[in-house]
Amino acid sequence: MASFLKIALRNLFKGPTTDPYPFGETFVPKGLRGKAKYNAAACIACRMCEYVCAGGAIQIREVADKSGLEFILWHNTCTFCGLCEYYCPTKAIRLTEDYHTAHRQEDKYRYVEKGFIKYVNCAECGTPMVPISPELLQRAYRQVNREIERLRHLCPKCRQKRALR
Amino acid sequence: MSTYTIPVGPLHVALEEPMYFQVQVEGETIVGLEITAGHVHRGLEYLAMKRNIYQNLTLLERLCSLCSNNHPFTYCMALEKIAGIKIPERAEYLRVIADEIKRIASNLFNIAMLAHIIGFDSLFMHVMEVREIVQDTKETIYGNRMDLAANCIGGVKYDLSDEKIKYLIKQLDKLKKPLEEIIDIYMNNKFVRARTEGVGILPKDEALRYGVVGPVARGSGVNNDVRVKSPYAAYDRLKVNVPLETGCDVRARAIVRLREIQEAINIIQQCLKDLPDGPTCIDYLPEIPAGEAVAKSEAPRGELIYYLRTNGSDIPERIKWRVPTYMNWEALKVMMPGNKVADIPLIINSIDPCISCTER
Repeated sequence: MASFLKIALRNLFKGPTTDPYPFGETFVPKGLRGKAKYNAAACIACRMCEYVCAGGAIQIREVADKSGLEFILWHNTCTFCGLCEYYCPTKAIRLTEDYHTAHRQEDKYRYVEKGFIKYVNCAECGTPMVPISPELLQRAYRQVNREIERLRHLCPKCRQKRALR
Repeated sequence: MSTYTIPVGPLHVALEEPMYFQVQVEGETIVGLEITAGHVHRGLEYLAMKRNIYQNLTLLERLCSLCSNNHPFTYCMALEKIAGIKIPERAEYLRVIADEIKRIASNLFNIAMLAHIIGFDSLFMHVMEVREIVQDTKETIYGNRMDLAANCIGGVKYDLSDEKIKYLIKQLDKLKKPLEEIIDIYMNNKFVRARTEGVGILPKDEALRYGVVGPVARGSGVNNDVRVKSPYAAYDRLKVNVPLETGCDVRARAIVRLREIQEAINIIQQCLKDLPDGPTCIDYLPEIPAGEAVAKSEAPRGELIYYLRTNGSDIPERIKWRVPTYMNWEALKVMMPGNKVADIPLIINSIDPCISCTER
């Protein structure tokens, strides 16, 4: 018994080990998996995140006027597993260290991460297409020369034609 | 003396999980036991067959909280067996590290619960405080206190930088001294001994007959540790000492769990020393052909078996798992009779039941 008394006394003098949250700061390590953040400029709409999301928190769909794609992530459905970030080829989606998810009941369905990818027109034929992000070029080519930079503004069909020429 | 049947549960007996027992007592002494299962059935097998192989990584991790890493781990091993994927060596070591960290936290939790049940709440608090060292480690390395999300098909999702390795070594060293103190208390404290010694006896022959697994088997002197008997991941290259006890009682099982924590620290240190360089995951998205496979691993509670059948699509055709508690709770019928009513929660806790895995 004496051995435990020693420990109990030591703990007593050490003071509380709990953090005073929410009145003070708490332990938040770097790399904590918190709320996801989306960067529409890097996204290439490959829909891998939508495919791997177990909860179905992510949706990418065309807007009504067909001017682009809308990305929606419901924070309330997200489980912070980080699969979307892991499989995203351009890291357009990232988990932040922000774990604060308290919000009003009336905001329940508005508590989302949103983004909009506006279609661009192909430089040659004018077909609307998802813009090719610099992050994707970087991943595919490492060094982007002027020829690749020109191909970037073409739709897949025109790119094929250009490549065969 | 007259015989009564008293209901225990379905509200929690030891852990906050629904279990329902009908215990026949003669005065204060237990003479028989009936187990009614199915109070926390969530239809997870069906859900898993409605989701693709990637979504299942996340779903299966949420099957259980304390052995959450073992489920996606074993699932990945089954998938990799079907697709014939050889994962990078570094990934094998990283998988072992994730698994052993979870084992430390899980065993400490069970040990703390034991103290809580015998009414030694200051010890319970102390053990849970020591466990916070492991929880902080998990949060720093993996980003979450419980669900590590370490595994993915063909490897692991995380990597250990030099800085993180240093941090991990530091945290493990921090754990060693308090752990020794805790082991001393569980072995020698007279109150803990009085409540745990000779309680819930499961003799070796009965342990073999019921096919119990994990620390329950090892507390009765049966060594069926999957890590040694059929090594997976990097375990064939590591030295794993399996702690065995012959007390066959609640105390022996608790000591096995405590010794396993020490062994887990030892294994992680070996892994960090031998950690090979290289990629942490295969660099392509694998195609899973039609086929079936069985994979098993040693979860903190014992042997976990996965059966997986695929049909060439991205959705599993059948997925089934046999969890350690399924084997262990039948043995309660041997452990319980002859003990006092007050020992019911203590004996139930000694098999470290995980009802959410068992009834999924």
